[in-house]
This record gives sequence, C-alpha cells and structure tokens, in this order.
Amino acid sequence: MRAANAVNQRVRVTSPQTRLAQRRGADAMGRLSHLSGRPPLSTLSAIDLDAAERAMRRQRRLAVRTAVSLAVALAALLIAAVLTPGRLGWAVLFFAPYPVLLVLALVHVRRAERIEDRHTEDRP
Amino acid sequence: MLGLASISLVVAASVIIGVWGVRAARSTPDFLVASRSIVPGWNALAIAGEYVSAASVLGLAGLLVKNGVGAMWYAVGFTAGYVLVAALVAGPMRRSGAYTVPDFAEYRLGSPRIRRMCGLVVLVIMLLYLLPQFKAAGVVLELVSGIPYWIGVVGAGLVVSSTIAVGGMRSATYVQAFHYLVKLAFVAGPAVFLIFLAGPERREAALDPVAADPDWAKPLLDLDGSGHSLLATISVLVATTLGAMGLPHVVMRFHTVAGARSARRVAVNVIVLLSLFYLFPIVYGLLGRVVTPHAEETDVVPVLVPTAIAPGTLGAVLTALVAAGAFAAFLSTSSGLLLALAGGLSHDLFGGSLSKLRLGVAVGTALAVALSLPAAGVDINVLVGWAFAVAASTFCPLLTLGIWWRGLTATGATVGLLVGAGSSTGAAMASAVLDLEPGVLSILLAQPALWTVPLAFLTMAGASRPGSVPDWASEAVLRLHVPGRYSTGDTGAIPRARGTNRLDTAESAD
Repeated sequence: MRAANAVNQRVRVTSPQTRLAQRRGADAMGRLSHLSGRPPLSTLSAIDLDAAERAMRRQRRLAVRTAVSLAVALAALLIAAVLTPGRLGWAVLFFAPYPVLLVLALVHVRRAERIEDRHTEDRP
Repeated sequence: MLGLASISLVVAASVIIGVWGVRAARSTPDFLVASRSIVPGWNALAIAGEYVSAASVLGLAGLLVKNGVGAMWYAVGFTAGYVLVAALVAGPMRRSGAYTVPDFAEYRLGSPRIRRMCGLVVLVIMLLYLLPQFKAAGVVLELVSGIPYWIGVVGAGLVVSSTIAVGGMRSATYVQAFHYLVKLAFVAGPAVFLIFLAGPERREAALDPVAADPDWAKPLLDLDGSGHSLLATISVLVATTLGAMGLPHVVMRFHTVAGARSARRVAVNVIVLLSLFYLFPIVYGLLGRVVTPHAEETDVVPVLVPTAIAPGTLGAVLTALVAAGAFAAFLSTSSGLLLALAGGLSHDLFGGSLSKLRLGVAVGTALAVALSLPAAGVDINVLVGWAFAVAASTFCPLLTLGIWWRGLTATGATVGLLVGAGSSTGAAMASAVLDLEPGVLSILLAQPALWTVPLAFLTMAGASRPGSVPDWASEAVLRLHVPGRYSTGDTGAIPRARGTNRLDTAESAD
C-alpha cells in the first residue's frame, strides 16, 4: 500500500539486498532474513517444512535426471557423429544436437513447474 | 573504409540506445541488475547477445577452417550449457536474491571471506574472457581499415568502458538485445548471399570436404594434431557445457527477471536463439575452407570470405556488414563482462558505491586492453576455452553443491575453489608457456576441464566436514527451492511498466 500513497513522488528506493550490501558484518542469521526480506522459514509449521523438504527433494531428483540425460545425449551424439560414414557425419554434428538440447530443457522446465504447482496446491 | 563506416554506425547506435536506456542509473542495484525491471523477452535476447561473442562470430568459423569440422563441438557445448543452467542454476539463483556469484556464496555459506575469494575468481574468469574479445576487435579493425592492432584495441576499450560507465546494466540490456539482432542480421544476411554468390562449383566443393581432406572432415576436435581427438573433444565439451553454468556474467543476468519461473524459461529461450545463430559460422567455415584456405590469421576468416567470393563493390559491402556484426559481438560481450568485472572489483572486493563501480569498469578495461596486446597470436577459441575451463572448475561446483547439497561448508568451498582455480589456470598457463609435444599431456593441459572439474567437485565435497554444517544452512538451501512468499522476489508476475520499482510493489503487495 505504501506504493499507492507515493504515486507522483520520486523516492530513492533501496531493495533489501542493497541494505544488505551496505550493512556489512551482520551475523549469519540476520543476514539470511535481511537478504530475502521474507519471513524466516523457522516460522513455518512442521507440516509446511515437511512439504518444502519434499518439494526440494523432487526438484533435486529431477535436476539429477536432466543432467544425466544431457550427458547420455551428448555421448550418443558424439558416437553418432563419429560412426556416421562420409558426408552425413559432420551433418549430424552441425544440425542434430540443438533440437535434442531444446527438448531436454523444455521437458525439465515443464516438470520443475509441475513440482512447484503441486507444492503450492498442497500448501495454499 | 566501408567497413570502418559500418562499425562506426553500430557503435553510434549502441551509444544512442545506451543513453536512451539509462533513465538515470541511481543506485547500485540499478546499475548492476537494472532494479529487476527487465522484461523476460528482452532478457533472453540480451543473454544471447552477450553470450554470442567473438568466439562464436569469428572464432568458430576460423577454427573450422584451421582444425576441421570438429570445431563445432564448441558450439554444441556453448548451447548445452544452458540445459544445465535451466536445470540447476537459474531458478534457485533467482530465489536466493543475490546479485552476483560472490553474493550468493556469502548468502549460502555465511562467510565474508568466501565472498572475497569468489570476487577474485570472477576477476580471473572475466579477464580470460575479455582478452579474446579485445583481440577480435583489434584484428577486425586492422583488417577493414588498416588501423594498427594496438590502436584498435585501445579504441575499442574506450568505446566500451564509456558506454557502460554512463548506463550500467539497464542500458547494457537494451544494447545487448540490439546487438543480438545486429549479429544475426549481419552474419546471417551475408551468409545467405554468399551461398548464392559462390556458384555451384564452390558450393559443391564446400559441401564435400570428405573428398578433399578426410582428416579435416572428421567430426572430432583435434588440437594441433595430437592424435587423441576423442579425448580432446570430450574435454572441450566438459569445459564449455559446465563452464557456461559458472560464468559470472551469465548467472548475474538471471537476477534481472521477475521470478524463478521466468528465469528458467529465459534459459530455454536462450537455447533457441543460440541454435539459430550457430547455423551461420558453419557457412563461413565451409566456404572459407574452399576460398581462403591459406589465411594466416584464421580468426578473421568470416571477414575475408565475402571479398574472396565476390570481388568488387558487393564483396566490400558484405565485408562491411560482417565486420559490423563481429564488432557488435565484441561490444556486447565485453560490456557484459566488464560489468561483472566491475561488480567483482568494487561490490565484492572493496564493498561499494556507484563511483567505485564506475572506477571498476575503467580499471577492468585497462587491464584487459593491456593483456590483450601480447595475446594477439593466440586463437580466440583457445582463450575463451580457458575462461570456460576455469568457470567449470570453480563456480560450477560451487553453485551446484551450494544449491543442491546442504552439507557444503565455507571451508569446503574455500578449499575447492582454491584447488579448482589453481589447477585450471595453472594448466592453461603451463600449456601457454611450455612448448609441449602434441599428445595426451598437451591436451590435458590445454583443455584441463576433464580432470580439474572432478577434482574441484571432490575437494569441495570432501573438505566439507559434516560436523561443521551450521543450523541455518538447511534453511538457506530450502529457501532456494520453495515457491511462494518464503523466497525472495518469486512473485512470478511479469513487470508491466518500466520505471516502477518492482521490488517495492512486490513487498507492499504481500
């Protein structure tokens, strides 16, 4: 609501991050809540914390899966480029990798967002 | 002269857009991350604009002519890195609310000392990355106008540092988005023209490298005929893919989007933009092998190809366009790099005000210019490869472990960073200074990522004692992955109007 009162006024706005940057030497705990400018997680109930924990584990599993898929895909492309005879060998290297990379990234983003949605639905 | 004129036009347009984008850079957050009011579409364009550097515009085609088709593995790695950025870094980094990698390190590990260490690593990576950019500016200027290399480099430094010192990141974002379009148009347009102009005979020769030179057409990257091309290719892939994830100026970009979700999506958009761009170095490389097979400085092949194919006015015009595209690549990348470098110098190392940040830009430019004078003889992609290798051996493990594993401690990170930075820069320096026989050892020194990255990961994890994990570490990690009001700036909304401060509205909305 603060913003609505100060419609036509030029105010020098500093973010919580700036305040952090200006105020060095704060203790670690103070830094955490100052940095984020949000209520500390420790105000969450045990159930909420549990849900957060689960969301993070799901994201981590997904991230590992994507990283491994990427390694496998790159290895497969490398093998395919070397084994393809003649002209097509370099054509594989020039054109094949990019669609593969795009699909990997798209699938990851969709799944990551689904995990977030599930978390939000669980804890409105 | 035409080349010089087109380059001047690009510079002038950049300055105008920069000044238009300034809208008063008032505080440090304004200067560094444009107060988070940059719209995602612009952001993807700007990331791609900054990322498609001289290494992509000039270096790839040059390396293609010099070493063979395997050079395109660099492009694959440059792009594959963004899959990892989307998967591992973009969202959580945005949620951390930190501006730079050193900020993140301090947030996650709670130690001001580690912040300064990260600041130093930022300096090393950015300088290694800046060198080839200035080299590119120097050789292109020398080629199109006959200006001596060192004058070109110094002039380029002046232009870049002055545009940044005036505008900061806000202006850099618009300037870089503009540069992506310039690069695409000025590299792609002439490429299409040249395919037609080349005529059936040369087209046929370009498309059939196997018949002419089977070694050249082997789809592996052989570094100076070492005979271990598979090893070299894998090491380059590791360095470029993992290095993209740890590049400080790329990571910093994600703080200018609205939330964690848009940060991830921006990374995906970048993959699309990069895939589109990397079709064109292929054209210059394949044609260059046929029409300019004996170029002494292969890094300028794309600028040589037009006149070799079409002598006369048309060739001169196309050359001017390509030169302008290459210069745009230099301008956008180096301004992004200098911002990160200035951030590292002032914000992280000396704790800073806006004037110190501007001073940081000046000091960074001077350093890069001075170092790029002796680097004239080194291939652009070799230099860029080192920057990626150092990033892959330092910030890649730091961010990956810091974001996904709560067991990482300040001690572990410090030791890991020291080992990673020491081994990768040491290997690169050794390969530059020593004159080794081509072989396994020379590859492992010239492309060290294959062993330095695992080494850095292992020391970082191994030196983190389980007993010394502080209580709040768990919270610091959880916060990076939980959507909603417990994480910073994760409002998900896309900013509508420029000029309103989004952080402020987000705060009062809650």
